[in-house]
Amino acid sequence: MNFLRGVMGGQQSSGVQPSGAETIQKLCDRVASSTLLDDRRDAVRALKSLSKKYRLEVGTQAMDHLLNVLQTDRADSEIIGYALDTLYNILSNDAEEAVGHSRTWSLLPRDTAESEEENPQAQTDDLGVQFTEMFIKQQENVTILLSILEEFDFHVRWPGVKLLTCLLKQQGPQVQQIILVSPMGVSRLMDLLDDSREVIRNDGLLLLQQLTKSNAAIQKIVAFENAFERLLDIITEEGNSDGGIVVEDCLLLLQNLLKYNNSNQNFFKEGSYIQRMKPWFEVGDDNSGWSAQKVTNLHLMLQLVRVLVSPGNPPGATSSCQKFMYQCGLLQQLCIILMATGVPADILTETINTVSEVIRGSQVNQDYFASVNAPSNPPRPAIVVLLMSMVNERQPFVLRCAVLYCFQCFLYKNQKGQGEIVATLLPSTIDATSLSAGQLLCGGLFSTDSLSNWCAAVALAHALLENSTQKEQLLRVQLATSIGNPPVSLLQQCTNILAQGSKVQTRVGLLMLLCTWLTNCPIAVTHFLHNASNVPFLTAQISENLGEEEQLVQGLCALLLGICIYYNDNSLESNTKEKLKQLIEKRIGKEIFTEKLGFITKHEFYSKAAQKPQPSFSSPDHMMFDHEFTKLVKELEAVIIKAIYKSSEEDKKEEEVKKSLEQHDNIISHYKNVIREQDLQLEELKQTVSTLQAKNEQFQTTVSQQVAQIQQHKDQYNLLKVQLGKDNQHHNSHNSNAQINGFQSEEVSRLKEEIEELKKQHDLLQGELSEKNTLIENLSCNQAAGQTEQTTGVSEQVTELQKEMETLRSQLHVQSTEINRLQAERMELLQKVEASATVTASGDSASAASKNNDYEEKIAGLLRELSSLKDEVNLLSVEKSTLKRELDSAHSTTAILQDEKLKLGQEVSESKKEQDDLLILLADQDQKILSLKNKLKELGEQVDDEDDLESGDAGDEDDLDEEDSRDDDM
Amino acid sequence: MAYAYLFKYIIIGDTGVGKSCLLLQFTDKRFQPVHDLTIGVEFGARMITIDGKQIKLQIWDTAGQESFRSITRSYYRGAAGALLVYDITRRDTFNHLTTWLEDARQHSNSNMVIMLIANKSDLESRREVKKEEGEAFAREHGLIFMETSAKTASNVEEAFINTAKEIYEKIQEGVFDINNEANGIKIGPQNPMPGPTGPHNAGQAGGSCC
Ligand SMILES: Nc1nc2c(ncn2[C@@H]2O[C@H](COP(=O)(O)OP(=O)(O)O)[C@@H](O)[C@H]2O)c(=O)[nH]1
Ligand SMILES: [Mg+2]
Repeated sequence: MNFLRGVMGGQQSSGVQPSGAETIQKLCDRVASSTLLDDRRDAVRALKSLSKKYRLEVGTQAMDHLLNVLQTDRADSEIIGYALDTLYNILSNDAEEAVGHSRTWSLLPRDTAESEEENPQAQTDDLGVQFTEMFIKQQENVTILLSILEEFDFHVRWPGVKLLTCLLKQQGPQVQQIILVSPMGVSRLMDLLDDSREVIRNDGLLLLQQLTKSNAAIQKIVAFENAFERLLDIITEEGNSDGGIVVEDCLLLLQNLLKYNNSNQNFFKEGSYIQRMKPWFEVGDDNSGWSAQKVTNLHLMLQLVRVLVSPGNPPGATSSCQKFMYQCGLLQQLCIILMATGVPADILTETINTVSEVIRGSQVNQDYFASVNAPSNPPRPAIVVLLMSMVNERQPFVLRCAVLYCFQCFLYKNQKGQGEIVATLLPSTIDATSLSAGQLLCGGLFSTDSLSNWCAAVALAHALLENSTQKEQLLRVQLATSIGNPPVSLLQQCTNILAQGSKVQTRVGLLMLLCTWLTNCPIAVTHFLHNASNVPFLTAQISENLGEEEQLVQGLCALLLGICIYYNDNSLESNTKEKLKQLIEKRIGKEIFTEKLGFITKHEFYSKAAQKPQPSFSSPDHMMFDHEFTKLVKELEAVIIKAIYKSSEEDKKEEEVKKSLEQHDNIISHYKNVIREQDLQLEELKQTVSTLQAKNEQFQTTVSQQVAQIQQHKDQYNLLKVQLGKDNQHHNSHNSNAQINGFQSEEVSRLKEEIEELKKQHDLLQGELSEKNTLIENLSCNQAAGQTEQTTGVSEQVTELQKEMETLRSQLHVQSTEINRLQAERMELLQKVEASATVTASGDSASAASKNNDYEEKIAGLLRELSSLKDEVNLLSVEKSTLKRELDSAHSTTAILQDEKLKLGQEVSESKKEQDDLLILLADQDQKILSLKNKLKELGEQVDDEDDLESGDAGDEDDLDEEDSRDDDM
Repeated sequence: MAYAYLFKYIIIGDTGVGKSCLLLQFTDKRFQPVHDLTIGVEFGARMITIDGKQIKLQIWDTAGQESFRSITRSYYRGAAGALLVYDITRRDTFNHLTTWLEDARQHSNSNMVIMLIANKSDLESRREVKKEEGEAFAREHGLIFMETSAKTASNVEEAFINTAKEIYEKIQEGVFDINNEANGIKIGPQNPMPGPTGPHNAGQAGGSCC
């Protein structure tokens, strides 16, 4: 209390103090002794109104009374509300601040610690802490507060929430412990998230933030109470990153729940909540809204992703989260932001960091990342675009660090990626047409900007980490320096720059690259030692007595020389292990060498870099160590010192031991190889078996398909057979294939009948004609001559017709033989098909494949035959139509003939009539002549009968003929 | 990933009885002879199938020590099922069952399904608690009973699945209020409201609804 008095005395003017204190005392007495609720309520209200101005007095004098009210006056929500408000005013330091300050949205933790002396706020902070201690001394005060929070009344719940938040802020761990042991404590507070009044829900979020701070047990209970679901729902409802401060508060709470809490991370992942993060990053490319709040929200969202895939998490946990992030499209979404334009620099930087950790060590994600292209024209790989920023002096430092991190994460445990990067530098695979990662790295390595030198060197070192193949490959890289000079190797160029004595940062970067390169790669060591000036340079650097500035470089030179000894395969006569060791002893001294080597780990930046993989430096000058390199140093330091101190005899012994070990190793590796080979063979055989099995299955399906086809063909042939049989029954002369061209046998037979008929008619006509001919010939000569002419024309036509008939008949004969032949062929085919079908059905499946081939050939043969049959049938049908045409013409000819015949018939009958008339006339005249003769005889005259008769006859007959035709005309 | 139901379980019982091993055997199908002492609560999850339906089990493995008891209590209310485990080679773990059961009954919702598990059945030679004793205790307190071995995996699947079956049956009977997530049951996404329990006859035994 002394402390409180001191504060009070210092702050309050002496004039105000007594009256305030007195009033407060009076009010306290009323609260304590009045039996009337109204009275007590008024007193508490009065205390509340004084509590801001007289915070100290109200706190010291009224605290106990107020706590009493909470216990005894629970029934009256009004008085409870006032009491809570008053307590809040006393305990809270924010209440005072809140008058003048609005909340700021800085990304820094809100409870940034500041030193007490410098901060006048510190004393009021202490006041809050002191009062809070008084409040929680009795644990049940907190328990009462928890039960008060169940009250629905806004005027109770809201100040209750604020008061508890304040208690947690001031005395977090103790209050957390009390809540943890009170039954249902945590889950009751979780219910605040379901409050329909936004103010309470939002302040409930702030309460839960405080509640979950650094307390894994509470974090897990909160998660168990469905916090993830509820918070994600709120974020969605509020519009994701476009939402307001509530979204920010939800995100902060989520971060509290997940950071460093593997159990909750696992729960988050298993609850399929990762996929619910994806829409957070669907920020349009419209650039319309990048409000400060949106930037803050997005930043927290990105950090939340990083929490789940942090390199510090258990490896299994991180990798399964990485997998989910790829599967649900979250990584892809992040890469879209990465390549978008108009994204604020700090969001872009954090997105790069996030992508880095989402792909780190995950082959699938790394492969995806390598395939991402920037939407530029022409499209460039994202990696190239990023590296361009890394070696660009004008880009912000943090962004360049982020890109380096991204590149490192891309190459982490990614031999394929390492190979691809190194390949862009190799003469055989170099692509001169477009800017490559390798070109950018070389450009950075030898640019005038030391930061670019360092970043490029580290980036290149990461392409070599734990990858001896690429270490050897990189030895092949040649650089064109200036025109006229021969190209120089990359290794040589690195040592050249080193010797030129550029900036410390540049030299540190190059030395780290060289150390990484030569480690575990004797060929690279040999290459390095082959340049006669390298060893003298190193020894000179190490032995010189340079200022503090140069200590790190000296240490790294010692490390490099140590590596040259440790990984030396003695292939260079002048620079064997032994010779180099002697050199150290003579030129530097073992102790000094060890001391200089020790400069590395003792350097102030070393331990910071050793902490985590992400390169983060407070200023560009501090960019000295790479995380992976610190691991390398840790491994090498001890073995190098051991190697230096070993005597040559020990060395020799060791060499022998090594040799025998190597022999053993050789034997073992031989067997290993054998096993590996056998493994490979086994694998191959397995694959062969499985492909064979697959093939077998395929064949079997083909076989069954073909059996089905054959069956189909068989059916078709059967059908054809039946049809053929029918055709044969109708007439043996014609092949019919209804399926092919619709040939109609009935027609043929009809035609035949017609022809037969025509023939008959023709014969009849001929008979009649010849009859008439003889008859007419018997008549007069004139008549007979005209008639004969006509008949000759008809008979000529008839002969022609007869000839045609003859040809038709022979054609029909040819066709019928053809059909017979086809039928025979078809029968043969049918037999073949049947035979093959039976073979297939009875054949065993192993030989089925080969048989199948036979069948296929046979079928093909059959099909060929079938098509030739079709051709023949086509031919026949053509012939048929010709025949038909011929028949048609025959028909018309016949019709003409019939016409003529009719005319002839008429003429014949007319001639007959004339003959009859003539005969009658003749008979009359005979009669007359006879009677005249008789008269003449009676008269006694001699008469020549014959002559007169003859001459008279001819003229008369002509006249009669004319008269008759006239009659006909009429 | 889609499931018809999600059930929350807790595993309780004295320390060293094999709770963490049971969970590991169920989720990862492996046994870890040397297992870290559980601090507070650890989470595990697995999908199972009952009645042709996918059911997601979320399981919280608790620490058995007295000092964590109050933390453990926070998990009772929200759990649909509890596996109460003892060690057949240590009688004291059997003797403590009553305390565990009281604690569970006091803090959980009344419908929570409790499965009594007698673990380490592979250590027959060191058995201190007869199977009949466990069965009798279970019968007396209305629990399901099962002897398991987290080491050989014997009955481990069955223990978790039978508990889920019991919960599932209770849902079908309308005993559980599936709309209150605080009961440790959640209906899967895009799942139509199943079972006879409507939103208003919460908690009551529904019987037949039609
Ligand atoms: N033989 C055998 N040992 C077991 C079995 N289950 C667990 N253990 C061992 O019992 C010890 C405690 O197991 P643990 O799961 O940590 O118990 P918890 O404290 O209940 O989580 C460990 O050494 C386990 O290897 C089992 O079924 N059979
Ligand atoms: Mg355990």
